[in-house]
Amino acid sequence: MIKLKNIIKQYEVNSQNIVIALKGIDLHIKEGELVVLRGASGSGKSTILSLIAALSKPTSGEVLVNGDRISKLPDNFAADFRRHSIGFVFQKYNLMPMLSAKENIILPLVPMNLSSDEIEEKLKRVLKMFQIEHKENQLVKNLSGGEQQRVAIARANINNPKIILADEPTANLDEKLSLAFIEILKELKVEGKTIVIATHDPLFFGLDIVDREIEIYQGSIV
Amino acid sequence: MRSKINLYIIEYAINSLLSQKYKTFFVTSVLSVLVFLLSSLFFITNSIKYELNSTLEALPEITVQKIKAGRHYDIDVGVVDEILEITGVESALARVWGYYYFENAGVNFSIIGLDEYEEQYKNSFVKVAKELDFSKPSMIVGEGVKKVIDKNYYREYFNFIKPNGTLKKVDITGVFSSDTELESNDVIVMSKESVREIFDMDESKATDIVVRVANHNEIATVASKIKLLYPDSRVVTKDDLKISYQNIFDYKSGIFLALFVISLFTFFIIIYDKASGLSSEQKREIGILKAIGWRVDDVLREKFYEGFIVSFFSYTLGIIAALAFVYILKAPLLQNIFTGYSQLKTSFNLPFVFDVQTLALIFFLSVPIYIAAIIIPSWRSATLEADEVIR
Repeated sequence: MIKLKNIIKQYEVNSQNIVIALKGIDLHIKEGELVVLRGASGSGKSTILSLIAALSKPTSGEVLVNGDRISKLPDNFAADFRRHSIGFVFQKYNLMPMLSAKENIILPLVPMNLSSDEIEEKLKRVLKMFQIEHKENQLVKNLSGGEQQRVAIARANINNPKIILADEPTANLDEKLSLAFIEILKELKVEGKTIVIATHDPLFFGLDIVDREIEIYQGSIV
Repeated sequence: MRSKINLYIIEYAINSLLSQKYKTFFVTSVLSVLVFLLSSLFFITNSIKYELNSTLEALPEITVQKIKAGRHYDIDVGVVDEILEITGVESALARVWGYYYFENAGVNFSIIGLDEYEEQYKNSFVKVAKELDFSKPSMIVGEGVKKVIDKNYYREYFNFIKPNGTLKKVDITGVFSSDTELESNDVIVMSKESVREIFDMDESKATDIVVRVANHNEIATVASKIKLLYPDSRVVTKDDLKISYQNIFDYKSGIFLALFVISLFTFFIIIYDKASGLSSEQKREIGILKAIGWRVDDVLREKFYEGFIVSFFSYTLGIIAALAFVYILKAPLLQNIFTGYSQLKTSFNLPFVFDVQTLALIFFLSVPIYIAAIIIPSWRSATLEADEVIR
């Protein structure tokens, strides 16, 4: 399902300073698998997620999702790919504070110009699935951290994508809310989604729902 | 039901603007003020141009004045008969008129004398001559004059102070208006006899002589013939007057141009500030939108709506405010720049001139430029890798 072939990713900080984030990563994630990428901050976990989501392009190597070489996709095709195939849960959720929970959730649908019935149908599904029906009209800036995360997960799932990527999903949550997130993951796994989580939270290590843990250290798989 | 226009993007653009309400309010206010200033200047210029053109149209083809050592003196009425003998002259009329300074109000009135049995040299005076009571000292005044003398408690008559210090009482029998207020506002019309008395002018004298020429192409020839006949006269043709009026107006337009340049300069500074970059928050917003599947053109469309809403609203607000300022409030301060000699002239109303070209010019100077200033930096951010923008 997801293949990373000999990925090298460099970031140019300035003309004399280049940071090598990934040093020849090879990775194969099967459909329906739940994979945890572990490692310290700056190890390259988030960069891998970003490459899978076509948010950035590798310096060399290629990323294939369902056989499509997404690392070479032009910008607009990459956007279409993200819209339909990827649900990304960011570490800081990246919600729009001026919008309500409902408006944030449907944001990926906005450019698609769907009918109001279609939007309502998709919205109802995720509101129910992540139990935030009662918060739909509240501004996200007034929601608790856990509620904001549910909104972020709902937004990531609004188009029912096959792949869910989560970057440090429990970094801003207490233990109770982190456990609640794991419950959500279980539901997503039951639905057959391929899930990749980048985290250094020990809560995920050795979990029964996790199929594989991959240690990343200084841009390489250990 | 699916609409062709993506209402959700428009809704998002409105929400985005409302979320930064102070910034949006500030930008809208500045843009509105600039549009208001620009359009006020244009409206006043258009109105005065209209007044000027109408006034120029009403001017006589040739005006003959007597000159002594470069100064204007009264001319002999007998000159009229000699001018009438020149080939090509259709009519010649001795005018009796002058400026009367009303000290109490600090304004000048233009007093014009008419003769009941003469052909009037202006269309607007034909009706006035019919209404004017020539049997007694009476006058018909322009609206501006009426306002000024009303304020000074002259309701039914007005006392003119003659050069010898005695008073000349003249009844006010009516108010008139001509095609243009600029022309008629400060005017008082009465019999030639009364005007002569007020200015202590001899019956054999007139202020000047106006000449009508049947064939427009012959004006210059007739003018040179009059000059040859009377070397001590100044012969002014309509075209000469047009040029001098135009020169005064062009001088005023220079001030207009300065104000126009300042307004545009301010506008472009704002635009430059906008175009030179986005805040980290705005870049992040674009990055997030891209990360959740928005294409570059979706982002730009949303930014277009944001720019359009702000600039079109500002444009409309600025235009409405300028219309109210110029045509309802009569453009306090700005009008004086253009009419200039307000201390001597009574105030006048600017005629409403609806000019689509002016509205279009202001529109193209404001709306598309502002939209471009929003879209260009957004496009720069939107074409970066989303990951780079979010981080």
